Amino acid sequence: MIKSILSLKNVNLSFGGIKAVQDVSFEIHENELLGLIGPNGAGKTTVFNIISGFYKADTGSIDLGDVCLLKLAPDQVNKVGIARTFQNIRLFGNLSVVENVIFALQQKIDHSWFHSLFRTKKYLDIEATLRTRALSLLKIFSLDQLADTPSKSLPYGLQRKLEIVRALASDPKLLILDEPAAGMNHSETEDLKKLIQFIKTEFKLTVLLIEHDMKLVMNICDRIVVLNRGEKIAEGIPAEIKANKQVIEAYLGKRS
Amino acid sequence: MSLKSKIIFLVCFVGLGIALNFFLNSYIQALAISFMINSIMAMSLNFITGVANQFSLGSAGFVAVGAYTSAVLTKEVFNDQWYFIPLTALIGACVAAFAGYLVSLPSFKLKGDYLAIVTLGFAEIVRVIFLNWNHVGGPRGYNAIVKWPNFTMAYLFTGAAVLITLYVLYSLKISWFGRNLWALNEDEIAAEVMGTPIAKNKRTAFLISSFFGGLAGGFYAHNMGYISPGSFGFLLSVQVLIITVLGGLGSISGSIIASIILTVLPELLRSLPTKVDVRMIVFPILLILMMIVRPEGLFGKKEIWTFFKKEGGS
Repeated sequence: MIKSILSLKNVNLSFGGIKAVQDVSFEIHENELLGLIGPNGAGKTTVFNIISGFYKADTGSIDLGDVCLLKLAPDQVNKVGIARTFQNIRLFGNLSVVENVIFALQQKIDHSWFHSLFRTKKYLDIEATLRTRALSLLKIFSLDQLADTPSKSLPYGLQRKLEIVRALASDPKLLILDEPAAGMNHSETEDLKKLIQFIKTEFKLTVLLIEHDMKLVMNICDRIVVLNRGEKIAEGIPAEIKANKQVIEAYLGKRS
Repeated sequence: MSLKSKIIFLVCFVGLGIALNFFLNSYIQALAISFMINSIMAMSLNFITGVANQFSLGSAGFVAVGAYTSAVLTKEVFNDQWYFIPLTALIGACVAAFAGYLVSLPSFKLKGDYLAIVTLGFAEIVRVIFLNWNHVGGPRGYNAIVKWPNFTMAYLFTGAAVLITLYVLYSLKISWFGRNLWALNEDEIAAEVMGTPIAKNKRTAFLISSFFGGLAGGFYAHNMGYISPGSFGFLLSVQVLIITVLGGLGSISGSIIASIILTVLPELLRSLPTKVDVRMIVFPILLILMMIVRPEGLFGKKEIWTFFKKEGGS
């Protein structure tokens, strides 16, 4: 039996009179790569924001395993195992590359004020372990050479990569990528594709991917969910989606 | 720091206090103590405004709470004994910290100018409460507060408070908590998504900052021997803010250097051989020049010792 890791049931959200998300339900199975696509304004990012806790759905339910996510704030959503990246990269620009990762790692640790105030051996040990763990994680993605440069001075592609590494550092069950290929050229997109596949197999992660780059989506996704005007219009494997009449209509309009 | 250098430092610190008692005239001594108190205020503001990036204009409010608490306690509970001053200053700091916590409760969602208005409002409320509270003197102020018996004691205790403030705030700045605050400072949304509770971190930062504000207040009251609501007006908040910005937002030790400059400079300018008082003209011009030439303050976000390390290579 396929085990579902995240399930959305009849999620609704409206802003005033605009129904941004209507009755959307879908499930993400364990260790799969689910693509979420749709034309501009279809409500993809809204669905993302509902999952990660920035918006509260009006009705419906979202469950990660048996944890209900509806009432959780964004930081609590992260604690139960969902990490995300952003459409427009949000790194801590003046912090160094390794500090960005340490920041994500340290959220999982119960720090004691006493130890950090008196800089005891225990505290220094924790700091040292955090740094080694961060560096080894960076090494996997060959970013360790750049560990001490401020993250804002990295090139665009590497910033993207670092943001994904930072998300991985919080040890999620589900990783949500919001348009990771936005603003990337062809070869960078190729690298990204390899990176996503690598993460998925190496870290045994489930990935939810929002993307506009159809080639990328059709290539790497196991299944695809299509949204249009806040409603789910199709769900299935890439080949089915490509042939789906409603999807083609949503993207290209009706033949008159 | 090794144990040996710690002992040497302690001996120098105490010895200097005793020596200065004989060599300095009382004018310079008063200046030295007021510089120390200013630097505690500036460091406390620096933690909330520089490190945590929460623009506060309410330092005078926290200082006032600490000063009044400490002054009233020594007079009414501890029978004007000077050796209770550190204790009462500490209690004053705790009360101020509580006040800071209360302020942060409704305002953690506010940023920048809006937060500045809220904290400014808080400081004004505190001032007006003391202005109308007859038991603590109302507008006449609170008189005959017990003072330090001599300069050495004042120097030792105030100096210790400065060092403790520097140590605590610096350790917090480079600790996990400081990293949380830097991250919040850089990008709040990303920090929240990575699992940091924003509100809790901001509240804690406020609590810590106002604690040291209150501590400075306690020392201020016992240094002056007299406090009135007028001493804790908007001007004090602005003065502390100027020191903090000059030293560099985010540089805790920079605040100490800046408060030396901004305490001594007006006094030096006082002795300029001009008929009119040019002090009030030169002083602002210097500040304006400073902001043009080095907008990030003297030390930016770095601490003083990082500059020495680079040169000395140790």
